[in-house]
Amino acid sequence: MEDIVGGWWDRLVRRAAYRGYPAAVVELESIAGQAPLFFRAMGGDPALVLRSTVGTEHGARRRLIERLAGTGTKVELAWRDSQAFYLPDKLDLYPDPALNRQLYFWLMALAATPVPPGDWLNRNRAATAACLAAMPGLALVYQRLLTALLPMRPDPAKLPEAEAALERAIQAALRQPDIEQILPAIAQPPLPVPLWLHPAPPLVDQAGAAAQHEAQNPQGKRPDQRSRRRRYRAQRVAQDERKNGMLLVFRAESLFTWDEYVKVNRHTEEDDDNNGEAAAEDMNRLSIAQDAHTKSSKLKFDLDLPAAAYDDSPLGPGLKLPEWNWKQQRLVEDHCIIKPMLPRDAHPAALPDRLLPLARRLRRQFQALAPERVRRSGEASGPDIDIDRVIRFMSERMSGVAIAEPALYQAWPPGERSLACLTLADLSLSTESWVGESGRVIDVIRDSLLLFAEALSASGDAFGLYGFSSIRRQEVRLQVLKDFAERYDDNTRGRIIAIRPGYYTRMGAAIRQSSRILLQQPAARRLLLIISDGKPNDLDHYEGRYGIEDTRQAILEARRDGLLPFCVTVDREAGDYLPHLFGHRGYVVVQQAQTLPQVLTRLYAGFTR
Amino acid sequence: MNAPAPAAVAAPFYQAQGDECRLFEAAWQQQLPVLIKGPTGCGKTRFVAHMAARLGLPLITVSCHDDLSAADLVGRHLIGDGQTVWCDGPLTRALRQGGICYLDEVVEARKDTTVVLHPLTDDRRMLPIERTGELLEAPPSFMLVVSYNPGYQHVLKTLKPSTRQRFVAMSFDFPAPDVELAVLMQETGIAESQARQLVTLAGQLRRLTGYDLDESVSTRLLVYAAKLMMSGMSPQQACRTALAEPLSDEADTIAALLAVIDTQFPAR
Ligand SMILES: Nc1ncnc2c1ncn2[C@@H]1O[C@H](COP(=O)(O)OP(=O)(O)OP(=O)(O)O)[C@@H](O)[C@H]1O
Ligand SMILES: [Mg+2]
Repeated sequence: MEDIVGGWWDRLVRRAAYRGYPAAVVELESIAGQAPLFFRAMGGDPALVLRSTVGTEHGARRRLIERLAGTGTKVELAWRDSQAFYLPDKLDLYPDPALNRQLYFWLMALAATPVPPGDWLNRNRAATAACLAAMPGLALVYQRLLTALLPMRPDPAKLPEAEAALERAIQAALRQPDIEQILPAIAQPPLPVPLWLHPAPPLVDQAGAAAQHEAQNPQGKRPDQRSRRRRYRAQRVAQDERKNGMLLVFRAESLFTWDEYVKVNRHTEEDDDNNGEAAAEDMNRLSIAQDAHTKSSKLKFDLDLPAAAYDDSPLGPGLKLPEWNWKQQRLVEDHCIIKPMLPRDAHPAALPDRLLPLARRLRRQFQALAPERVRRSGEASGPDIDIDRVIRFMSERMSGVAIAEPALYQAWPPGERSLACLTLADLSLSTESWVGESGRVIDVIRDSLLLFAEALSASGDAFGLYGFSSIRRQEVRLQVLKDFAERYDDNTRGRIIAIRPGYYTRMGAAIRQSSRILLQQPAARRLLLIISDGKPNDLDHYEGRYGIEDTRQAILEARRDGLLPFCVTVDREAGDYLPHLFGHRGYVVVQQAQTLPQVLTRLYAGFTR
Repeated sequence: MNAPAPAAVAAPFYQAQGDECRLFEAAWQQQLPVLIKGPTGCGKTRFVAHMAARLGLPLITVSCHDDLSAADLVGRHLIGDGQTVWCDGPLTRALRQGGICYLDEVVEARKDTTVVLHPLTDDRRMLPIERTGELLEAPPSFMLVVSYNPGYQHVLKTLKPSTRQRFVAMSFDFPAPDVELAVLMQETGIAESQARQLVTLAGQLRRLTGYDLDESVSTRLLVYAAKLMMSGMSPQQACRTALAEPLSDEADTIAALLAVIDTQFPAR
């Protein structure tokens, strides 16, 4: 009984104490589709992805009722670092939802604006001033947001002297952002300013982060869609770094996200993913431990096994390839070794029965496509008559004006339809993750490759099929499933059937090698089709921005060589980084992984029409 | 060597971005063919029209497409009343008049079509007309100008290297903000403050090219927006019609573009 009354009391007080208007809430999800574009238009770095923040403790003076209720200590503020820009999960600061929505856009503009170094107050002030000067429309929005905000700020007259000075400086900076302010030194943090970026965004211990690269940890399975955007605040260690936080550029590797490499040091033994997530959210910060297991992944993976002995048969010692180092902005020669290999245990096999009906349909469709694609009308000679032109010619003749040498035939000029397609599939360990009924990602990729190969061989276009994974730069494994010179038959089918997930995703090297192979094909148009399930990553520093930039570079090189790179991904978050890699038109996200085979063949038909 | 004839009519307005006018004139004097690369709506056509008028030359423009044949360029026999009549194509006409022949979007033309340009674009400067047996020599004032848009989305369509390498090439891009400002004001009479907002907006939208948008917002579209604003339409609506809608069909993208437009021209 007491419990029930206690819970009721708790809820009542919490509701009364909450500063905000839940009825006017605007969720990040509702603008997430527009946010990346807007951020980029404001000048934000296109490589940064959108993430949601979790509250960081602000430590300011709380109202009595808030202290009673134990709320009001958390505030969600926006910030950006070298990997992402962070926005609150929801905003309900204002009673008017339109204002809450505009606040999101204001915060993005602020986060996208570069500012000179300075203390947090003056950085925010200067960024605000820059935005207002450049954007008259946004300036109007800011005035609305500010007018509604000021009554919520504490009255300096009612604060102790030191706090009052700080509050006066803040309010002055808000009102007149083009006038520099002196930040009063004071121990007590002020009430957070929701129109500004986080004064001290969460940091990670850098030494700990460095050790982290060496830790061996396969890419984990991801929690559900929405929570993937949520970034957990990692344990901050260095107190003094906090003071000049705001737009500090961290080392890219020092940031952890739940979906990437968070190692959680938990006190209890929860086995349930949801539990872990709830706990993490509540704990507000996660400490990073060297030896812990990745919670989100239950995959077992022994890296100590000598790879060659254990599985695939390497074909030769390997080839050296360069890699792009974005921090140095240069291509490091001979940085990776790519090892072509054949899948272990591959036995000649027929197409699995369950794929037969679809395969038959695809073959028919692609056979019909083939002659259409090369037929050229308006030829001076040819095996077919171009009816359209004959009719036009006849009528011209009737009216007395006609061309003497009409081109009235259709023909299939030889060599004209020369198209080569290289398909490169990600076979890293992350493809082991489950996608509902139809099994794992790898199973979908296997079916897709099998069916795609059926379609391609019916079309008559030259094609090659490859898979890749990697274990650091010394071993980028390129599985040769079907070479361009090989026929698509039971041997190659057997190899596709034998693919298994393993290791990591050093995408740049795999793309570079594929480009080399494709460039040797004597076709007029060469398509490099990449099937992926997530971001590039590997055990060493090849993750986050490093991997992205190297991959981007490899794609730029391919494009410069005249190849047409295109990516098909099952990673639903890919919209955050693939435009940076492949351009807006250069990729598709397959929302339902199960439909990958259909998407792939439909795409190809469209491309080559 | 060529000497410019006095311009007969006032040249169409063209705001120079750099020394492209001097370059063009030098190429004309030296009888070199010119290739102009640049995104759509950045002023290529206007530039050529301007230069033709400045040099006092007739301008003959051909928009290329994949059905354009060599005969379409050079000429053909037409059947008249019981007899055939030879009819010059635009290229031949420009040659006879000693003017500028401008092939717009030349990559759209079939490769066997562009090959007829080869003898014209080396030091022979000749056009053999096979069907009449005529061998036309280009007069000194004749100039061949071609243009195309090199965006990566057109990667399947490029010029043959052997064609490409016959031209001196100039790369155009959207004008610098101050130049674009002058263009907008001159073309539409819009007030400077609003023109400046449009130019800033264009800068914001151009950051999206290749990520969220395939093509950048062009100077042409900015001119449209300014014209609509001059006709009394609200800036919001003018930008929506002339800038947001032409750039995308995706609802999310348009919504985001409108949010960007709001940062310059707020909704009332
Ligand atoms: N430098 C400039 N000076 C004057 N007007 C310009 C200039 N640049 C662009 N414009 C304006 O932009 C409009 C579009 O330019 P134009 O038609 O020359 O583009 P284009 O490069 O030929 O495009 P496309 O490749 O689509 O044919 C012109 O009508 C003119 O109003
Ligand atoms: Mg034009």
